[in-house]
Amino acid sequence: MRALRIIVAGCVLALLGLLVWDVAHRSGGKVARDVDKGEIVKAPAFSLPRTTGSGKLSLASLRGKVVVVNFWASDCVPCKQEQRQLNTVAAKYADKGVVFLGIDEIDLNGPARAYLRHYHVRYPSVSDGDGAIAGLFGVTGTPETFFIDRRGQVVPPHIVAPPQGDALEAGIRRALNA
Amino acid sequence: MTRAALVAVAAALALVAAAPASASEKHPTQSELEAMLVCPSCHVPLDESDSPVAQQMKAFIRKRIAEGATRSQIVDELVGPPNNLGDAVLGVPRTHGFDLIAWILPLGGIAVGAVGIGAGAWRWSRRRASTSLLPAGGPQLDPELDRRVDEALAHFDG
Repeated sequence: MRALRIIVAGCVLALLGLLVWDVAHRSGGKVARDVDKGEIVKAPAFSLPRTTGSGKLSLASLRGKVVVVNFWASDCVPCKQEQRQLNTVAAKYADKGVVFLGIDEIDLNGPARAYLRHYHVRYPSVSDGDGAIAGLFGVTGTPETFFIDRRGQVVPPHIVAPPQGDALEAGIRRALNA
Repeated sequence: MTRAALVAVAAALALVAAAPASASEKHPTQSELEAMLVCPSCHVPLDESDSPVAQQMKAFIRKRIAEGATRSQIVDELVGPPNNLGDAVLGVPRTHGFDLIAWILPLGGIAVGAVGIGAGAWRWSRRRASTSLLPAGGPQLDPELDRRVDEALAHFDG
């Protein structure tokens, strides 16, 4: 009978451990919420496979530069609408210490590569196939754009649609001055 | 002779059972793969989803089947490189690694429950057996008490 109690207690403890592990790994997703409140927060670390070519690209490798992170997907119509503007601004700020990084969210590699070719996207893009990094950022759809300063902190604004007017460049200027 | 015949029948049955699985692995069908995979954005079986990414997955499966890919290859290419959609596209957990817990816990729970019920039934049956082994008419009385009872009864009779 004692053995049975030990087994039952062990099972309960194992289930509790699983629950704690699950909750601990769901603690992300606050970045967008906090930035929308005007706060500056540490950017989640990630290393993702490049959408074109081979190997991975980590956010840490871009430290020291302002990083404009744009979440996109090949089937996203607003992404297509904003792509020309993103390309133009990326080229304009390329020699000012600003790097654009596309994060392709829940997408297949073939259509994603076709999108990048079709829209002449020159800046790097990585694949977040299961949407895990989008989850850490608190992304709820595409497109969404974040600005990360030279110290790896996400600064406001957080743009949740194709940028209107000067919003994209205003975000870059703020990140450069942070 | 009988044992040899039984072994032969069992082997034949195992072969018959394994043959469709092997054929399905080498020559998977579109509907079979759509039934075992899940749309990663809407979390419903692929054959019930019409989301953009589900349509992409269906097209990918169709193309890879036409190219002669096996079931495992197609699933692995969706879960891992080049598409990296992750385990979220699997309709059932894998039977290795961390996902094995999803299989072990329910089976372990059933096993522990069965052992518990078995142990309880065994104890209950033993208790009943020991109760039924008592002498007829109840336990033996102390001789002194027996004598006093006899005296009292004699007093009433007298």
